[in-house]
Amino acid sequence: MMDEKQGLKAKIFWYLMVLMFILPFVLPLIWILMASFKTQAQIVAMPPEWIFAPTLANYKRVFIEQNFGKFLLNSSIIAVGSTVLSLIIGLPAAYTISRYKQNILGIFILLARLMPGISYLIPWFILFSKLRLVDTFTSLIASHMLVGMPLIVWIMVNYFDGLPKELEEAAQVDGCTLQGAFFRVVLPLSGPGIMTASTLAFLFSWNNFMFSLVLSVEQTKTLPLAIYGFVSYAEVSWGSVMAAAVVIIAPAIILTMIFQRYVIKGLTMGAVKG
Amino acid sequence: MRKVCLLLAVVMTLVLIAGCGGGEPAKPAADPAKPFAGKTIRFVAANHNWTDVIKPLIPEFEKQTGIKVNMESYEEQQLTPKLTTEFTSNASTIDVFMTRPLQEGRLFSKNKWYENLSPYLADAKKTPAEWDWKDFKKSAIDAVTLEGTVYAVPVVTEGEIVYYRKDLFEKAGLKAPTTLEELEEAAKKLHDPANGIAGVVVRGQRNPSVTQFSGFLFSFGADFLKNGRCVLDTPESLKAFQYYGRILKNYGPMGVTNMSWPQAQALFQSGKVAIWIDASTLVGPLMDKEKSAVYDKVAFTTFPAGPAGAKPYDVVPWALAVAAQSKNKDAAWEFAKWLTSKDIMNKAIAKQQTVARNSSWADKEATKNWPAGFAEVVAKTGQISLSYDRPLMTAVVEARDVIGDVIVKSIETGGTADLAPMLKDATIKVNEMLAKNNEGGK
Amino acid sequence: MNRFIERNIVWIFPLPAALFILLMMAFPVLYTFWVSFTDWSVASGGNVHFIGLKNYYDLLNNPRFFNAVKMTFYFTILAVGVETVLGVIIALILNREFWGKGIAKTILLLPMVATPVAIGLAWTLFYEPTIGLANYTLRSLGLQASSWLASRDMVVPALAIVDIWEWTPMIALIVLAGLASLPVEPFEAAKVDGASAFQTLRYITLPLLYPTILVAVVLRSIDAFKTFDIIYTMTAGGPGFASETLNIYAYSLGFGYFNFGAASSALVALLAIVLGSSLLTLWVRKTWEI
Repeated sequence: MMDEKQGLKAKIFWYLMVLMFILPFVLPLIWILMASFKTQAQIVAMPPEWIFAPTLANYKRVFIEQNFGKFLLNSSIIAVGSTVLSLIIGLPAAYTISRYKQNILGIFILLARLMPGISYLIPWFILFSKLRLVDTFTSLIASHMLVGMPLIVWIMVNYFDGLPKELEEAAQVDGCTLQGAFFRVVLPLSGPGIMTASTLAFLFSWNNFMFSLVLSVEQTKTLPLAIYGFVSYAEVSWGSVMAAAVVIIAPAIILTMIFQRYVIKGLTMGAVKG
Repeated sequence: MRKVCLLLAVVMTLVLIAGCGGGEPAKPAADPAKPFAGKTIRFVAANHNWTDVIKPLIPEFEKQTGIKVNMESYEEQQLTPKLTTEFTSNASTIDVFMTRPLQEGRLFSKNKWYENLSPYLADAKKTPAEWDWKDFKKSAIDAVTLEGTVYAVPVVTEGEIVYYRKDLFEKAGLKAPTTLEELEEAAKKLHDPANGIAGVVVRGQRNPSVTQFSGFLFSFGADFLKNGRCVLDTPESLKAFQYYGRILKNYGPMGVTNMSWPQAQALFQSGKVAIWIDASTLVGPLMDKEKSAVYDKVAFTTFPAGPAGAKPYDVVPWALAVAAQSKNKDAAWEFAKWLTSKDIMNKAIAKQQTVARNSSWADKEATKNWPAGFAEVVAKTGQISLSYDRPLMTAVVEARDVIGDVIVKSIETGGTADLAPMLKDATIKVNEMLAKNNEGGK
Repeated sequence: MNRFIERNIVWIFPLPAALFILLMMAFPVLYTFWVSFTDWSVASGGNVHFIGLKNYYDLLNNPRFFNAVKMTFYFTILAVGVETVLGVIIALILNREFWGKGIAKTILLLPMVATPVAIGLAWTLFYEPTIGLANYTLRSLGLQASSWLASRDMVVPALAIVDIWEWTPMIALIVLAGLASLPVEPFEAAKVDGASAFQTLRYITLPLLYPTILVAVVLRSIDAFKTFDIIYTMTAGGPGFASETLNIYAYSLGFGYFNFGAASSALVALLAIVLGSSLLTLWVRKTWEI
């Protein structure tokens, strides 16, 4: 009896601890979601109102007056485009880096992660201007690929390292070329790794602010830029800002929830192996 | 919101009627009245109330001329980097753009990014007499002229004015402040943090604060530059810095050093501050029932007098320029001319835009929708003002950062810090910037 | 054709990636180095001259640069330090099977994937001294309200709190994965020897975890050094220059003053710090074999 009671007490205490440490990470997001349905007066009301008559006015403003639908589309095009292209050039590279120990190339690709993003901006602008690519999606997609591609290579090198070499050898015995073995045997077995890598590449592109700040124009404006412009413009309408925040954060969160397993793997990859 | 829609509808109807009045039905591209039909121009604008007003009118221009206008608009801090990087690369496709004469005029002129508009203005074929360049305010024309050449057409002017809460002033038995002493008295009296009301707010963020501080500086009898040298280390200047810091620290809202105009405006709108000093173009959202809790309690007055009198700024914050790198300069000029024509300016003034044409102001009808007393305050400000609100130099952004840093320090200490050495230091730095760009010591 | 590819797969496969890196990274980086030795500035009318180390000399004589270096380290050490401690604690709490573990892990993921610009704006509102939640909370607890982002003393901690909110989960999840991969034997031996829970933690769990924690800290520090979005949207380096990190300083030199030469030298300095810290950690790790 005593033990059970104490066990229960300990359990409650422990659950409370979990709540105390976990809750702060979600509360601000819940607050943002609620604020997006509030009027300006309700938002600044203290103590915060937890129960209120929701209004859709903020979303109306975001989508109808500010054209967020278009920015949503732009962000999607750029995120999907840069992820797919990064996969296309990143996967074969990751494969040979893993199989032939091309460490120098590997290190170079990883260096891209260390560089301060701002140092790219002026050279890029000059480069893209010479190529006449400034007001196109191409330049933005290419810039986002510089974040996505190294990520994909980094994750996939680790993944390919874990696949036994015998796989390709067996395929080659069956008459496959090496590249045939890569496409028909290795890639199909790498589904989870590719999922992890591409989810992360997509998220990083989706959230990127700095590159879009300099490289995008009206036609290619992405969401992070749109929400930033929204604030400093005319007056601060906090409800609308929060609605815009929901529009931009929600897809990232939904994607994360669907691919949760892969995201965790990707973010913790490499660290655990040491 | 409804009010805006209604206004829009009225404007659109007017446009339609005006368009019909033109009489001639549209003809194919060969029409001699439409020499630029089929051309496309790229217009880069700033997010500004004026941009909102003209944006819906552009289809009318497209119909009249057959020129297709691709418009983009950017937030202020983003626009200059955007323009600069594009022009630096020498591969820009921008034809017409909005520019800030005081902020980037010298920088862009030096790099020859502006098309020289003087020949266009002189050519009667390109600029018909009825468009009337002389109709623009003299000070506005001066603002966009550098070494004898005109590089842009002024769009709006804005002056530094005082917004205040007439209900709070009445309750406290106060009158609109006419001197800086009265301003401080009023701020002190109305400052009531226990009830969430601050006495006064003016911008306190490092870089943005400098322009609003300028009125205080001038009114104390000081200036940024004199004969090409920085003169911020004078006793008058010190007093202005101390005053600014004192009123904002003692009677300002919390967090004022992170406030530019949107934050200050939001506070005033929500009724949390009694006095706000900033540009006259920001009046719109204060009077909007939907956005402002105090829309019926706002009053205006001119900038209060200091030891050297009342000297607010009245400047050309935005002008329209044709890009020197443009490949469609004539079509671009056509568009810039149309945007600043009497017709469009009259429509803009009806929507509370403080436009740069004299004729628009002469028409009493145009300002009848303005808040009571506002037009008078704007007009009076125009008479007593100086035509700049920041040091006129190429490295103005850098100079603002240096000056703004002293302003922030003054606010943080309520003006009690030993500011004199800081001002001396700032003066040296600004002089170095001037020397670096060969602008010093004339 | 197929044979050709197969024989030359070693260079054909990585070629597109290598070219991409060359064009998009190597060129910009070399270009930045080159520009850092010139006086290229829009204010001087766009004439470019080679001036050797002058930009670096000016940088080293500019108190604002040292302030930026100081703020970069202050922000990074404060944020990553708290993240590490909190992250390890959270991982230790979550390291057992219980109902709702999946939900807890999902929640931890959310701050990491939420768009930083949007998060920055939301926190700006929380910190608003008059109408924000932060001061309301302080006041209801009977504490003194703060100016947060407008206060010289509070601004970096306030920004670090946002970074901590965003990135503690990453360290927690990494450590959690590390805990799951620890060998069982040492724990069993400790149990046999009658070690207390705290002793097990102190003498077995943490030492075994050090490599994992170290890598997590390095990864986080690299990103924290380069933090841009949050600081740019929340304070732009203010009040005064109290939250101006090297990244923000370089941005302001480059895209505020358009002094590309000076901006490039500041960026090279930032790069040196990021590279240097990473190499130092790797070296420490190798020498001490942890």
